[in-house]
Amino acid sequence: MKKIEIEFTINGKKRRLSVKPNDLLINIIRNDLFLTGSKYGCGIGECGACTVLLNGEPVLSCLTLAATVDGKEITTIEGLAIGDELHPMQKAFLKNGAVQCGFCTPGMILTATALLKENPNSTEDEIRDYMRGNLCRCTGYIQIVKAIKSCENNLETS
Amino acid sequence: MEKQQFDFIGKSFDIKNIGKATGKEIYTCDVNIPGQLYAVVLRSPFPHAEIKKIDYSQAEKMGAICISGDDVPDILYNERIVSIPEKTYRDRTVLPKDKVRHVGEAVAACAAETEEEAFMALKKIKVEWGKKWRPLINLDKAMDPDALQIYDHVYLGEERVDINNNIACERNVDVGDIEEGFKEADEIVERTFSTQRVYHMQMETKSAVCVPEADGGITVWTTSQGIHNVRILLGNIFNIPLSKVNVKRTTLGGSFGSSIQMNSITPICVALALKAKRSVKLVTTREEDIYDHSKYPLKTILKIGAKKDGTLTAAHCRVWVEIGGHNIQAYPYLGCVAGWFASLYKWKNLKYEGTAVYTNKVPSCAMQGYGNPQINFAVESLIDILAEKLDMDPIEIRLKNYVGKGDEFWGQGPTVRSIIRSCGVEEMLIEGSKLAGWDKRTLPSKKKGDIRRGIGVARGFHTSGTGGPNPGEVIDYSGATIKINEDGSVDVLTALMDHGGGTWDAGAKVVAEVLKVPYSKVSIYSGVDTRTTVFDVNTHATRGVYCGCGAIKYVAEKVKEILLNYAATLFKDLPENLELTCNEELGQAVICPRGIPQNYMTLGEIAEHAHITSWGTIAHTATLRQKNCPPCFITHFVEVEVNTKTGEIKVPRAVIMGDSGTIINPDLWEGQIIGAFSRGLGFSLLEETKYDLNNGKLECNGMITDYKIPTTIDMPKVGSITVRSAHTYEPTGPFGAKGMGEAALSSVGSAVAIAIYNAIGIRFYELPITPEKVLKALKEKEGR
Repeated sequence: MKKIEIEFTINGKKRRLSVKPNDLLINIIRNDLFLTGSKYGCGIGECGACTVLLNGEPVLSCLTLAATVDGKEITTIEGLAIGDELHPMQKAFLKNGAVQCGFCTPGMILTATALLKENPNSTEDEIRDYMRGNLCRCTGYIQIVKAIKSCENNLETS
Repeated sequence: MEKQQFDFIGKSFDIKNIGKATGKEIYTCDVNIPGQLYAVVLRSPFPHAEIKKIDYSQAEKMGAICISGDDVPDILYNERIVSIPEKTYRDRTVLPKDKVRHVGEAVAACAAETEEEAFMALKKIKVEWGKKWRPLINLDKAMDPDALQIYDHVYLGEERVDINNNIACERNVDVGDIEEGFKEADEIVERTFSTQRVYHMQMETKSAVCVPEADGGITVWTTSQGIHNVRILLGNIFNIPLSKVNVKRTTLGGSFGSSIQMNSITPICVALALKAKRSVKLVTTREEDIYDHSKYPLKTILKIGAKKDGTLTAAHCRVWVEIGGHNIQAYPYLGCVAGWFASLYKWKNLKYEGTAVYTNKVPSCAMQGYGNPQINFAVESLIDILAEKLDMDPIEIRLKNYVGKGDEFWGQGPTVRSIIRSCGVEEMLIEGSKLAGWDKRTLPSKKKGDIRRGIGVARGFHTSGTGGPNPGEVIDYSGATIKINEDGSVDVLTALMDHGGGTWDAGAKVVAEVLKVPYSKVSIYSGVDTRTTVFDVNTHATRGVYCGCGAIKYVAEKVKEILLNYAATLFKDLPENLELTCNEELGQAVICPRGIPQNYMTLGEIAEHAHITSWGTIAHTATLRQKNCPPCFITHFVEVEVNTKTGEIKVPRAVIMGDSGTIINPDLWEGQIIGAFSRGLGFSLLEETKYDLNNGKLECNGMITDYKIPTTIDMPKVGSITVRSAHTYEPTGPFGAKGMGEAALSSVGSAVAIAIYNAIGIRFYELPITPEKVLKALKEKEGR
């Protein structure tokens, strides 16, 4: 299969890769770039564990062809903190007990940052609706929603 | 209750999950070995069929390494070795040798340089199938004397057991005389209940990585609740000395019981690696995972008798469980169901009969509660019915009959029992009823409108571990190595697993509390394997805090003893005259002669002294068996809204009371209770793995879009679940602690069903209570 040259920015760094037309973004991120924070939970867009930000928008990396990210900017969970300073959403998840097994956490945190960027004053119903595609089996979601709510108006300054 | 001041116990430290919030936590699927091959598994499309021949020569021509039943050892094993060998049924090999017994059962596997190449090779494997049979899906059909036998015989320990009518095993318990008991009763009620198969849906699918070592040994990473049992099993199956099998402890992406046993893919990955003489990585798909494990369903016929004043006189409980195509732990399961049943109320006279039946479905295994939510649904529903018949308040009848302090609790079936020494049941029922506004509850006949509200109460529990004064049928001990580093920081090496509920966090706090070392200086989270740790049986049976951290506390106290003895030589004093405290300003543990704080030495100074004088390392290693199995109690007050037009049920509010003794991790304790509540709502209202009766496949086809679990929008809003703790202290637990994990689920389904009855006046005896069932029942009630 003929490979395609792509260039993109991931967590602030420029990368150039040769990918096959059928390579999925999740596999490139996890297996080629060794950023294993993005998780494989279903492979078919059911669970949200593989969520990454593509030009700031949350996308399911298991349903995104790697070839389509040429020229774009990707943020994974590894790129959210600035140096040793955690992103406010990461802090909020830790502070509110919103992390248990942690497998859904990267996708949850990235989706939540996108939500509050879109709508910094989201109501609880809006948060619940926006997050419904990210499955969690441990927490029962309440502490996650609480963590996101606690970040409102907090993100703009970050 | 003993009053104790703690420095670390009962506090929350945000730092504990930092790896998970930053993407740095390593789960099995994140482990990569240079030069590894990628493995995939060929699975049976048939529910019950003969394998005549498997030809993988074409796949091997493509460069893949392949295995089938012919390549794996002739060792018949049980993947769960928590029970003692003579109570463990063995019916499987790594890959089946002659027939498959459920759709999705692995029949062959191959490994290649890339996952893509492995899948291409897998397509070239030819399976020549022999006879194919219609699946036995339902319990009654499977037990029919004319039904096809799924097994001819299996082994119980070393003893051959012939299988008749597909009955895998049976278990009966008698206490007192139920005939006499029912004679004494003024009121007798009897109903049949059933609970369904539920998929664990842990977020991380099962994975394994195996490195064949130069000395003939293997190093294995795998999703597991107990790495030492995986080590022992792999050594036995592949005939490798246990010293050469090293299983790494990695973080689990949820489990809920699905990895108590060694996962079916773990030995497949090992067999491929041994054949290839290369490292192999195997990550299963979600579809494969759904076809790998399930909660045990339960059918129960329950009959109970009581006097007019509500005093119970007898109970007869008859249960059946269909276990799928392999018997992982049906025998201990039947014992545990007996124990949960016997320990809920003082029946005085009881009879229990349990039967486990093979079917051509995914093998059932433990899932949070291990039969407890299933039998609780029957018992609590029937107690509610009895209370109504006797015109008693549901709380009053429970207070009158519950098994509490001073009574005997069956922590793991009939052979593991201990006396209850801490119990918050009364406090939880009374305080919970106040918080829930129980006195404002109205009868179903008083409800009006399309949306009807109801409230229900149910209570439950789970054991904390499987220890008793005498060892029973279950192996239960834990251990640790604890060492003080040269700078006064502390390493805790333990095989104890954490499912995400905070077992490691609790372990670190227990060590911090004993040695007065700041939490941030205790390392427990990574870097251990079976070679560097002593045995720990498994994180199951809600034993993590009580047993696992109980053992850690025991070892930490030994280290403290060694430390004080050494410090005494430096202070030229006696160890008992020294005091160990945490100095927050210094961020260090300090030791001083009692009452003379200014003459202190820090732990770092003492450890460094031991180091530079070549005295040695202040450290200790030991294992410990807890000799009790204290119940952790739970009480659920649940409010539901039933839409009588659509049959939909919403849960706007709940009050949940928990009794864990001392709470070590408050935020995760509450998180476990709320998390279990969401899984309980799935169990009560949504989830079931249904099967096609003809082809034995799952109706959801392995998709989680067609197997619904609760999402953010299905849960009550923030602040609508009130969680409170009882004020208890468990004298046998570490710093007064018991467990919580599984207890939190046990009475959710019961409380929801009882609340639905209170809303619409209809009893449901079968879970899940879906909108279709609600509408059908409403129509029948109205005679439509």
